[in-house]
Amino acid sequence: MTTEAAARGRWQVVWPYAGALAIALVLLAALVAMLGGDASQALAGLVRASLGSGAGLGQTLNKTTPLLLGSLAVILGLRGGVFNIGVDGQIYAGAVAATGAAFLLWTAPKAAVLPVVLLAGLAGGAVWGSLPGVLRARLGVSEIFVTVMLNFVAVFLVEYLSTGPWNDPTAGEAITRAIPPEATLPYLWPRAGAHAGILLALAAAVGVWWLLFRTVFGYELRAAGDNPSAALLGGVPVRRAVGVALVASGGLAGLAGAVEVSGFHYRLILGLSPGYGMMAILIAVLSRRHPVLAVPAAMGFAALLVGTDSLQRSVGLPSSAVFVVQAVVLLVLLAAEGVRRGAP
Amino acid sequence: MSWELFLDPSLFRLAVAMSVPLVLASAGEILMERSGLLNVAIEGMVTLGAAAAFLASFAAGSTGLGLLAAALSGVVVAVVFAHYAVAWRQEQVTVGLTLYVLCLGLSSLLYRVVVGVRLTPPRVETLQPLLLPGVGRLPLVGEVLFSQHALVYLSAAVVAGVHLVLFRTSLGLRLRAAGENPVAADTVGVDVFRLRKAAAAAGGALVGLAGASLPFTLTGTFTEGIAGGRGWIALMLVIFGRWTPAGAAAGALLFAYVEALQFKLAMVSRAVPPQFLQMLPYAFAVAVLVRAYRGARAPEALGKPYHREARA
Repeated sequence: MTTEAAARGRWQVVWPYAGALAIALVLLAALVAMLGGDASQALAGLVRASLGSGAGLGQTLNKTTPLLLGSLAVILGLRGGVFNIGVDGQIYAGAVAATGAAFLLWTAPKAAVLPVVLLAGLAGGAVWGSLPGVLRARLGVSEIFVTVMLNFVAVFLVEYLSTGPWNDPTAGEAITRAIPPEATLPYLWPRAGAHAGILLALAAAVGVWWLLFRTVFGYELRAAGDNPSAALLGGVPVRRAVGVALVASGGLAGLAGAVEVSGFHYRLILGLSPGYGMMAILIAVLSRRHPVLAVPAAMGFAALLVGTDSLQRSVGLPSSAVFVVQAVVLLVLLAAEGVRRGAP
Repeated sequence: MSWELFLDPSLFRLAVAMSVPLVLASAGEILMERSGLLNVAIEGMVTLGAAAAFLASFAAGSTGLGLLAAALSGVVVAVVFAHYAVAWRQEQVTVGLTLYVLCLGLSSLLYRVVVGVRLTPPRVETLQPLLLPGVGRLPLVGEVLFSQHALVYLSAAVVAGVHLVLFRTSLGLRLRAAGENPVAADTVGVDVFRLRKAAAAAGGALVGLAGASLPFTLTGTFTEGIAGGRGWIALMLVIFGRWTPAGAAAGALLFAYVEALQFKLAMVSRAVPPQFLQMLPYAFAVAVLVRAYRGARAPEALGKPYHREARA
């Protein structure tokens, strides 16, 4: 795939994205018109709300962070030939661990709190990824089912914590008490409300790229994903590589959960992830499993998410409409690829 | 709390009713997987089926029309899936996951367009219990098995029907051949491509009906999370049942029992927070899956696109 893409040149890689973006906008305009709104006005509002203003850009950057970290998690698995459908659960597990750490660390030195909170999130996600990782590596159990089932377990755990022991009695909803100020992520761009999480996500993108293409582990993982039997014959510990990838994948998603808590919500809430895990899968496929291409893809999805949020307020577009737009974009790209392939 | 709770006839009655979506969805998935198509979109298709059933019933006031709409929605999504997988040889799990996301979004979007924004969610009529003549009034058995709603009887018939078609007809033999060894099947004149698409359409209808059973028997309403992982669990039941409809149905009853038990326990027990009881079916699913994987053998060509010109 990579040599093929390189041969086609830079523009040949760029145009499907441009086409996909155009399709997304046309589809959104159609949806707005269907709900009785003014399509051109709504689209202009969408662009203004997501990219055309400081505050909008800040929101887009904030949404890019979990989407990028989540899609990196999916990419890490996909390169090893496994599907991590449990990013949402791992985000929640990371958010639980980060919130717990923030509550427990009230005696710790102030400067140590934030790093520990973020690391706790990483660890929480990694723990959530370790069960599918171990079951896959030791018993060959499909990671798809284990990761999905753990999504449900994580959501119920958050529901328990946010309505039970950590509940904020003054809020009365599925919301915990706020974390202490020293556990919060600083602003990167205060006037736009953008927190520093995007820097962590970008660093993670570079890190995953380095891991995949510049280390022995990455080489082995890609070999395991491209052709497991050949890799095994070549002496690659396929099962271990895939298991480790699932744990690391969970860790990245867990970090996203920690960033959502310490950078955006300042507490654990039940609706922390509006389906980031599902969008992350689409982004990973859209970026052709490449960690660097995932950056613009995640940002595009984030802009769509923020933009449709504004349409929700102006024309009553349901928030789930964004799933339709994003999935259609990917289906069109997959169809274009399929048509080029010719007859079966 | 006493042990009698676990053997209460009303619990078994509830379990049989709750097994319906699992039985129908896993039977549909078995049809597809036996032909070589691994469709992981069925959680989304169950949700879309539930939305289609609810909305058709809400708009037209007819449960029959709701069932038809649900089955149709399943057919459409499954045929789209099959086209990507068969004609365009796209990676099946990728296409399945994309369609899963599409179905989830589409379900709530359609609901919003048809129903609009309301303070109280509208309800549709649910199916009434249907006493089977003769056996419906038998003690215990009658209560548990023969005084259920119509979809329970339908799902029993579906299990028998799918079993007969797969293992007792030449069509079933050809379908299984397409899933085990498409090259050999093609050589002896089986149209692998058409057969896979047909299997997807038939299976899709069953998955859609599985969705319809949710608003029509359990809730009377539609919510975004109405499928609650039942589509994913149906996928696991296919492995649990070794790709046989009867085996998957047995697993469905087991899961439905745990699900029903969780409801009953939540009513009697105050000691355990309800969320931990709600985790139970999902944790149970993982535990059972680990056992199910021992010695499981999937159809040989499952998930692999068939390309005539490629060399094996």
